[in-house]
Amino acid sequence: MAHVGQAPAGDQVKRSKGHEGPRNHLITFAISIILTILAFAAVSIPGISKGFVYTLLVLMAIMQVVVQLAFWMHLKDRGHFWPTLAMIFGALCIVYVVASAVFWIWFV
Amino acid sequence: MSHAHAEGHTIDHLERATLEGKNKILGFWIFLGAEMVIFGTLFAAHIGLRGELNGGVSGSEIFSLPIVAIMTALLLTSSMTSVLAIQAMHRHELKGVALWLGITVLLALGFLGLEIYEFVHYVHEYHFNIQQSPFSTTFYVLVGCHGTHVAIGIVWISLLIGQLFKKGLTVVTAPKVYVASLYWHFIDVVWVFIFTVVYLMGKVG
Repeated sequence: MAHVGQAPAGDQVKRSKGHEGPRNHLITFAISIILTILAFAAVSIPGISKGFVYTLLVLMAIMQVVVQLAFWMHLKDRGHFWPTLAMIFGALCIVYVVASAVFWIWFV
Repeated sequence: MSHAHAEGHTIDHLERATLEGKNKILGFWIFLGAEMVIFGTLFAAHIGLRGELNGGVSGSEIFSLPIVAIMTALLLTSSMTSVLAIQAMHRHELKGVALWLGITVLLALGFLGLEIYEFVHYVHEYHFNIQQSPFSTTFYVLVGCHGTHVAIGIVWISLLIGQLFKKGLTVVTAPKVYVASLYWHFIDVVWVFIFTVVYLMGKVG
């Protein structure tokens, strides 16, 4: 565990080659850009129903965020059970709070 | 891929080399979970009240999507550059870490400048201040809370760059850099929902 810094330099170089590299991160960047452009384009197209655009926008935002959480923030990697649980719990709180606000303000 | 380099974990991933580093990262994730709840309540208030204009202007009248698109591009790119900073850290390149973190801060400054310009523009052109309507109140509190997070991130990461030059990449400084990058990604994640829910949906009506 604590043997960092004692490893010989050659060993470090060899290990570093096995590192993930920027490929997945650049793909995440590309996916984020495409989803963002699609979202901005979706509101510029005339003649589509508001409900459809709203649904599309929310779905694309969730997709972009999930990809960023998984790759940029490494939630897909091993040893991320509790961080993932913290994010899922936070997301559940958001769904609950937004749903209650909408219910009480709009429908009561 | 993620399993392939599990062997070299403690060597490549300096931030997880000590138990303190690991705990710092786990604790920061729990903090981010709490941050989600904070932003969730602000989003809830905005979504619930964004139709209450009190005789003032609506989002579709004032929002300028080109500026929002530029802000989004700046923040998304800064999230990418903080990934590159972590990758440089895993290659033990101090200068690379400082360079990419520096670019992250510059992009963040650009974002913040545009946001301040946007708010000033709204107040002067449309008298759209925080007291105008429930819509304006929840808009400024939500977007302003995010902007405050950006400002805190700029100060934090700038100080971190200074500390890196002073102390180098060690098992003490590496978790700090990693946690700052998590914070920065989180800010971009929140912005994705802000440009979607506040600006794009606001523009649609």
